[in-house]
Formats: sequence, C-alpha cells, structure tokens
Amino acid sequence: MNKKGNILRNVINSVLPILLAFVIGGIVIACIGENPLETYWILLKKSFLTSTGFMNTLHYASPLILTGLAIAVTFKANLYNMGVEGQMLLGGFFAGIAGAYITGMNPLVHKLICFAVGILCGMAFALIPALLKAKCKVNEMVVTLMLNYAMAKALEFLSTGVFRDLSSGYVATPTIQESAMFSRFGRSRLTMFFVIAIIVLIIMYIVMKKSKLGYELTAIGKNPEFAEAAGMNVAKKTIILMLISGALSGIAGAGYMMSEQFKYTLSFSGTPGLGWDGMLIALLGGHSPGGILIAAIFYAALKTGSDNINMYTSVPKEIVALIQGLIILFLAVKFISERTNFSFRKKSAKKREGAA
Amino acid sequence: MELLNNILYDTVYHSTPIILCVIGGMFAYKANVLNIALEGMMLNGAFVATLVMFFTGSLPLAILLSIVTTLIYGLVFSVMGITYKGNVIVVGLAINLIAPAIAGFVMKMMETANINLTNVNIANFKINIPFVKDIPIIGSILSGHPPITYLAFIGIAAFSVLMYKTKFGIYVRVVGENEDSAKSLGIKTNFYKYAAVLIGAFCCALAGVNLSVERLGLYTNDMTAGRGFIAIAAIYCGQGRPVLSSLYAILFGVARALAVNLSIYAGPAAGLFDIIPYIIMVTVLAVVSIVKYKNVKVRGFKNEL
Amino acid sequence: MSMIEVVDLTKKFGDFTANDKISLSVEEQEIKCIVGENGAGKSTLMNMLYGLLQPTSGKILIRGKEVQMNSPIDAIANGIGMVHQHFKLVPSLTVYENILLGVEIKKGKSPFVDAKTEIEKVQKLIDEYHFELNPLDKIEDISVGGRQRVEILKMLYRNVDILILDEPTAVLTPQEVDDLMVSLKNMKKQGKTIIVITHKLREVMELSDSVTVIKQGKVIGHVKTKDTNESELAQMMVGRNVVLTVSNERKEPISDEVIYEVKNLCTINDYGKEVVSDLSFKVHKGEILGVAGVEGNGQSELVKLMTGLMESTKGTITFLGKDITNQWPAQLRKEGVGIIPEDRYAQGLCGDMNISENCIAGYHGNADVCKRGIFDQKAIKAKRDHFIEEFDIRIGDLNGNVSSLSGGNAQKIIVARELSAGPKLLIACQPTRGVDIGSIEFIHKQILKFRDEGNAVILVSSELSEILSLSDNMIVMYKGKISGRVSQNEVTTASIGLLMAGIQPEKKEAAHE
Repeated sequence: MNKKGNILRNVINSVLPILLAFVIGGIVIACIGENPLETYWILLKKSFLTSTGFMNTLHYASPLILTGLAIAVTFKANLYNMGVEGQMLLGGFFAGIAGAYITGMNPLVHKLICFAVGILCGMAFALIPALLKAKCKVNEMVVTLMLNYAMAKALEFLSTGVFRDLSSGYVATPTIQESAMFSRFGRSRLTMFFVIAIIVLIIMYIVMKKSKLGYELTAIGKNPEFAEAAGMNVAKKTIILMLISGALSGIAGAGYMMSEQFKYTLSFSGTPGLGWDGMLIALLGGHSPGGILIAAIFYAALKTGSDNINMYTSVPKEIVALIQGLIILFLAVKFISERTNFSFRKKSAKKREGAA
Repeated sequence: MELLNNILYDTVYHSTPIILCVIGGMFAYKANVLNIALEGMMLNGAFVATLVMFFTGSLPLAILLSIVTTLIYGLVFSVMGITYKGNVIVVGLAINLIAPAIAGFVMKMMETANINLTNVNIANFKINIPFVKDIPIIGSILSGHPPITYLAFIGIAAFSVLMYKTKFGIYVRVVGENEDSAKSLGIKTNFYKYAAVLIGAFCCALAGVNLSVERLGLYTNDMTAGRGFIAIAAIYCGQGRPVLSSLYAILFGVARALAVNLSIYAGPAAGLFDIIPYIIMVTVLAVVSIVKYKNVKVRGFKNEL
Repeated sequence: MSMIEVVDLTKKFGDFTANDKISLSVEEQEIKCIVGENGAGKSTLMNMLYGLLQPTSGKILIRGKEVQMNSPIDAIANGIGMVHQHFKLVPSLTVYENILLGVEIKKGKSPFVDAKTEIEKVQKLIDEYHFELNPLDKIEDISVGGRQRVEILKMLYRNVDILILDEPTAVLTPQEVDDLMVSLKNMKKQGKTIIVITHKLREVMELSDSVTVIKQGKVIGHVKTKDTNESELAQMMVGRNVVLTVSNERKEPISDEVIYEVKNLCTINDYGKEVVSDLSFKVHKGEILGVAGVEGNGQSELVKLMTGLMESTKGTITFLGKDITNQWPAQLRKEGVGIIPEDRYAQGLCGDMNISENCIAGYHGNADVCKRGIFDQKAIKAKRDHFIEEFDIRIGDLNGNVSSLSGGNAQKIIVARELSAGPKLLIACQPTRGVDIGSIEFIHKQILKFRDEGNAVILVSSELSEILSLSDNMIVMYKGKISGRVSQNEVTTASIGLLMAGIQPEKKEAAHE
C-alpha cells in the first residue's frame, strides 16, 4: 500500500460525509425559503475571512481539540468512553468553584490550581467506568452513558443549592475571580487557553504516534487478543487510557470555564455539548492528533458561524446541530474501503481455515 | 397508604417507556446488532406524536406518523449499519444527535421552546377499570393507566412468545449467535437484522407517544433523559431475555418512583434523588457482569464489536 | 454419467488465484477424496461447489447438467450438502432445532413451530442411519463427534445425495474417526455420493475409491485408490520425495537440570468445568517436550496457562527455580520464556499493523527499541531488517501490513522475534500450522538449533508427525489430563494413537490401524 493513496483515501472519506451533510442541510435551508449558498457563505466569511472571526474560531476550537483528543485516545483503543461530556462538566464545575472561592491568589498559580482541580475531577469520574471495565468487564459504553445523566443531575443539584450565586437571576455558580480568568488577545475572544490546547495536542501527538503507550493503544484497538498475548495487560492499559481521557476532558472543562464561561450554568456546555462535539471531531480527524486539530477548527468555525447565521438570516442555528449529526452518520460508513488488500485478507483467512 | 399507592402507580408509570424500549431493543441485541439509537428513536416518536397532535388533534394520526417516522430512523440505521457495515455505535450516536436537532430546528421555526398540548386532556387517556380500581394496592397497579402502558406489559408476554416459539424468533437468535450457520442454510441474515432493528424502532415510537402525549401532553427536547440507554443497560443485564430484561426495566421504574415520591420528604437534598436510578442501574450492571464472568480464567478482552 | 463434473473452474481473489482451471469428476456412489496441503485451494473449491463462492470462470455440471449456484440453498436444491470443518451449529439450540433450521415445520398455518413433529422426524432419521444422538440435547452439551453427526443429519434431512465433508477428522479422536468411516461407508451403500477433503493420507487409503490431488490451486493428478499408495500421494502433494526433511538427531544426552516444571496445574473453562486437571511435567535443559493429543483436550488451555493468558485454579509453574505461576506475558518474556502462540493471527501478530510494529511486539518495552517510553524508530527498522535477512522472510512491501504476508513468512516473523530475544525456554504451539513446506523445514531447524544451544522447548501440536519427528519426550493429553508419557525411542504411531484416545497401553488388545 502506498502512503499517498492512503492519505487520499482518508481525505476523501472525511470530506465526502461533510459535503453530503451540507447538501442535505442546504436542502433543508432551501425548504424554509432561504438561500443555502448565502447562508453557508455567511458562515464561512464570519468565521474564517475576518481576523477577529478567525481568532474567535480558534478560541472555540480550544476545548474541542481537548475533548476530541479525550475521545480519540479511548476510541482508538476500542474503548467506547462516552463519558467525556460528564468528565468535562465535572472538571469545569469544580475548576469554577476553585476559581470563585479561592481569593487573593497570584494569577498564574490560581489558574494552575484550577486546572489541577479540573484534571483531578475529570480523572476521578473516568476512573469509575475504567475500574468497572478492567475489574468486572462491565460494558463501558452503557456505564458512561448513564453516568453522564447522573453527573448532569448532580451538578444541577450543586449549582441550585450549595454553590448557587444568589445575586444572579438564574441558576449559576459565582463568577470566578479575575485572577482565574484568561485575558483576551485584542478584540477577539482568543486567550492563552488556545496555546495550552496546542501544547497538549503536541504532547498527545508524541504519546500517540511515537511512544510505547501509543503503540499499545493502537494494538489494543486493532486486536485485543494479540495485545494481551504481547504482554500489554489490556485491563491495566484500559485504566491508564481512561485516566488520560479524563484528564484531557478536565483540562477542556477548566479551560472553557476560565476562558469563556466564567461561571457554571445549566447550559455550560451548550447543545449538544463539548463532549459530543469532541466525538465528531475525533471521528472526523480519524483519531489522529493532526486530523483532530483540523476537525476542531472546522467545527469551531461552524459554531462561530452559526451565531452569525442567526443574526443575518432567518435560518435557526439548530441547522448546525443537524449538519453535525449528519456528518457523524455519514462518517460511520467508509465510502472507500480502508483495505485495498481485502483479497489478501480473504486469502490468509482461507489459509487459516485450511490449516485448522 | 397513600404514599405506597403513589409509589406503586409511579412504578408502573415510569417503567412503561423503558419496558417498551427493552422489548423492542432485545431483538436487535439477540441479532447481535448493538442499537444505541433507542434514545433518539424514542425522542423522535415523542416529538412527531406531539407535533401532529398539536396541529391536527388526531391521536390515531399522531401515533401513525410517529411510528412511520421512527421506522424511517430504523431504516437509516439499518442501511448505514447493516447494509453498508458502518460502525453501529457511531450510526446510533448520530441518530441520537439528529433526532433532537430536527426537533429543535422545528421548534425554533415555531418559535417555541417546547410543545404544549393545550387541546389534550391527559386524564381522558387513563383507563379506569371498574371494581379493580377500588381494590387497595392492586388498584393502583392495574388501573388508571393510559392504553400504551397496558400494551407494554402485554408486549412482554407477546414478544416472549415471538422470541421463543416462532420461526422468526429462532432465526433472529440464530443470526446473532452464529451468522455463518444462518448463511449456510440460506437464511437472509440481513433481513432478520433489519426486522430486529425495525421492531425496536416501532416500540420506541410507542414509548415516545406514551412519554409525551399520553402522560404529559407536552414535548421538550430533553424529555427522554437517557431512558433509551437505561433500556440498553436493562437488556444487557437480562441478556436479552424478555421477562428478565423487563424486570430490570421495572427495577428502574421502582427506583424512579421511590425517588419522586420520597423527595417530597427530603427537603433540599431532593435534587440528588434523581441520581439514584442511574446509580442503581450501574450497580446492577456491575453485579450481573461479575456473576457472568466469575468463572472466566482467560485474561484480556474479546473484541465485542 | 458423472454425478458432479467440474470443468476448468477458476477462482481469483484479487491478484491471487486460489483455484486455477480445476477439472475433476465424481461418479455416483463413490467416495472421492480431495487431498492437498494446507492452503492448496481445497476449501475454495468446495465452497464453490456449495454455492458459498462463485467461480471466476469455468463450469459445474451436476448429473450432466450445467448449474449456477449463488447460495447454499441452490446447492441443496441440486442435492449437494456440505459438512464444514468449523461446524455451523447454534450452541444454545437443541439437536432437532439445529437440524430443522431453515425448514421448520409449522403448526398448520400458524406462525408457531410444531416441536413434536420435528422431534419425531429427527428421531426417525437418527434411527435410519444408526447414529448415537438425542434430539433434545443442546449442541453446547454434546461431544465434537456428536456435533459432526448433527451436521451430517442436517444435510441428510434435506435429502441431499452428494455429501461434501471438509476435513472431517481434524477434531475427532481416533475412535471417533473409525466410527465416522463406518458411517460414511454405510451412507455410500445407501446410495450417497461422498466427497471428503483431507490431508491425512492414511484416511484416504482406507476410505476412498478415488483421489484427486491439488497443489497451489492446480490439479496435480487423479488416481484410483487401489492403484496408489501413501507415499506416492505424499509426493504428489508436496512435489518432493520427502514429507519431513528434518529429523531429531541429538548430539548429547539430555541434561538432568530441570528448566521448567509444572506441578498439579488445574483450571476451569467459562462454564466452570475443569479442562486442565492436575497436570504435572518437567522439561530439562536440552530437551524438546512434545505435547500431543486430539485438539480440544486441554492443550489450548494449557498453552494459555503457560503463556500468561489464563489463570490457574490450582498448581504451580516453576522456571529456573522461580515461581512464575499466573505471571503476565510481559513478565514471562522478561524471565526468558519465548512464546509462539497457537493462533498466529489472533495472538501472534496484528494483521492490520505493519511489519516493523509486529517485529517488536512483546518486546516493545525493551531498552534497545524504547527509551523513556519513546520508540527509537531507527533501531526498530534495523531490527526488522535484521530479522528479514537472518530468517529469510520474503516481503513484498517493506512498509506493508503483516496481513499481506503468506502464512510461512508471517510465522517466521514470530519465530524471529521470539528466538532473537534470547529466551531459555520456547513454548511453541502449532508452530507450522498453515505454513508451506519450505518454511516448515526452516522453522523445525530453528527449533532444533535452539534446543542444541542448551535450551528447552515445549512443543504443542496436533500434527502427530511433527511431534514424533522433533520431540525427545512426549506427553499425551486426553480430557485435560496426561494419558501417557513416552520417549522418542519407544514410541510408535499406533501406541500414541491409543493414548490420544485415552486408552492406556496395558489394556492394549487391538491396536489402532
């Protein structure tokens, strides 16, 4: 297999679903009497072609890069960790609490404390399904899906009760101290958090592509039995990968708190939520760090653009959620087979059969 | 006594949509197709039923369109996941995202945050069985529920028969257990997988109608609240056996009923009671799994997908 | 007129030609054996006859009429039935349900299945062919031989008159093999035509009327069984004069030093049944210990226990004086145990990863390729190139995936990887399964060389000839226990055959064969 063909195939497999989704989205827009091309043009122009717009796009890409990585690091190992949303919420929530209740701090130290709290919370929440999977072989997907609901409810309870900011007219935790806020670059919303996300991305690139752990997680994802026989102790690695995923989600939540939201509200993560966005990004980026970066920026552009769609046209911004769902749907199917050497596989399978 | 009656009534009330998802979803489970789109399908069922009800006021039409549209989701799932062999988890997830997106889009067009059926009096849906309704305890279990609730419980028995006594049921299980065997005898495996997914879609639509129109006369975009996933957990725990899996669904109903009824006495901690049902299901999953694998000495994990 | 005639049948998978212009004919009421090495294309041919694969070109005639078969249903309609090597049964269903799968009898026009009539019909069939089966047993509870009988009945119920059996004896004990032969001859008398695919020549001689030999997808020749003999067939199969070129000639006697000792080892399967019970044996420095037995008698579990893939319920394993019971594979390799796993593509290699990635598997944490958790890509490539040269691994694309390699070359990667790490003990399980003759010879030589360097080897294989030609001492497993221990100079095929069937030598009255 040549490498060029591989890349081409990957690009087509990622671009085609996007195109299809946009075509369907366009039909929907046309149906409600708006011009789809004009709508998409506004989307593109406002998020890429102005410098503030582009910097805003990068700003919204920051947490998405991290949740995308959090998903990729588990999905690639065939661990269906759907708990990224919950891990991110918990990390963000308690980072916000630490940001609000700790006062008189050096700004740098304060931010580090908030990140530490976020990371620990994310890891702690990821540890539950990890241990259940590793020790009792409980299906991690079902557990994480349910724990997400439990977590959302628990945080709702905390933010309406103990940590409620009574001066606020709606359910919210107190605003974090200024020492915990990232300052913005110029007129855009971009902050240092983007740089942090990029640094984490580079670290994860090294981990996933160059390290022993990256090799092991690939092997576990492709063939768990082989991984076990090659001494990778799949149960132990499962816990490690889930913890990494939890930590990444925690950074995402804490950073989002300190750079954008500044307090926890019931719509902290938006719809469908940064964790779920992360899933699209991981799938779109083919679970590779480079791909995730591109996918996160692409998706953040959609998000920034969707606010503008609302402002300049009568198309509801929910159209973006629909397009997102459609992209995921089409991404599930490989339009061009990953294995051009399919016949060879058949042949070797035949040989094995003949041998047994 | 009043409290006990309420708890029992609510148990039946809260179990219904999950039982429907369970008995629908177990066919896909037995056919070895992991359908995590139950959640989205149920939501779509609820949305379309409420929407049609809102505009036409015709219940039969609402139920019909709700079922038809949910079956379309089932078809999309099957085409992408079975015919084109896409990753069924990703397909399921996509449907779980698309269903609320469409609902949100339409509601935005209607300039409303939720659909409220002012033309419907939900009390009219309740079937009060004469005499039975006056028997203490039993009365609150058996009487005063909307029609789909009765359908759900009858469905447990009916689908058990379908699963174990008919050719269809045997074939679905054969397809899931040994696809090669089914193929070698010329059984159209994809047909049975499609059928299994579509049965699930059908039941999810009913669950959605029950959840929105029948019970509340209301649709909101987060109303399914993970019930589809709880159904999947119940199916896992009961290993796809109709009665056993339904019992786990009822267990969730009990937990929910207790949480709702006892939270009145809990004061500020009441909010935490909502978590209990989810925690109970996770615990049950863990216990079932430990029992299932207690003899397994082989290390590592088999690939589940 | 021939029952089946195949003319110039060709099947290609991409660039690979699995069957190349195969022509053969089978007469009515004949038992035809199709023999060839593993990977020669026998299974592909049969799958085309059964409608599971469609030929690229060529034609199939049944009773002189050309047929087009798109699915097994067409094959069955044409009177062809097949018993696969891997049974296509549903374990949780009963014998009768499996036999009637796809042709259920319903109660009148209702959708319900008429279980009573079904059971009666199956019982009648069982009586007719004198099979030993209870229609109400679940498949998961009956023996392998029993399952095979269910498969045969499944076909007979469908009124086939041509029965194809793919490697029917691979999973049977010698006793069960005898029973099967009687049954097959019996069916022939009742008018059935039978095709048996095998590579066991002894069975061919005993059973068949005629033989077709296939090699590398081509027909090498057709012969009448009465006109040929085993060694002629073997020569046709491999295209050489000898089957096994390597023989075990040791230079020095086995040392007294015990390298590896298993004591009272037990484990259970998923259903809680004991599948390895109270096993004890020792392996000395400079010894190859063969573990023989019919597949499914606990060898697989024993290997898993020894290689850290399964936990024991009782017993200990000692290696170089150290207790290594229940250690994980990574620790075992560190201690100096090399492992050639049972299933090459499940445990030994990852088909979807490239060659260099597979060359380091199991040793990927070692300091020579991995420093502080980060891989040294240059060192890994050097290692791969070194393996390719020293072990004569033939590779098309250096950066390609392992799945593109032939069985022999893939297996050589494992052998290279495990032996290069400098172990003191090699656990080799089915080391030459599905491997071409040249590679078999190479791998056998490597194993003997490793032994001669003063190391120990545990060789687990279901190929009796492999065990007999390589081992210094042998243990035979039967139902999870050791049914006998023999050494190379006192063993015969006959005596080991009895042990494999669980019959102790003192009871010997009629030797097998």
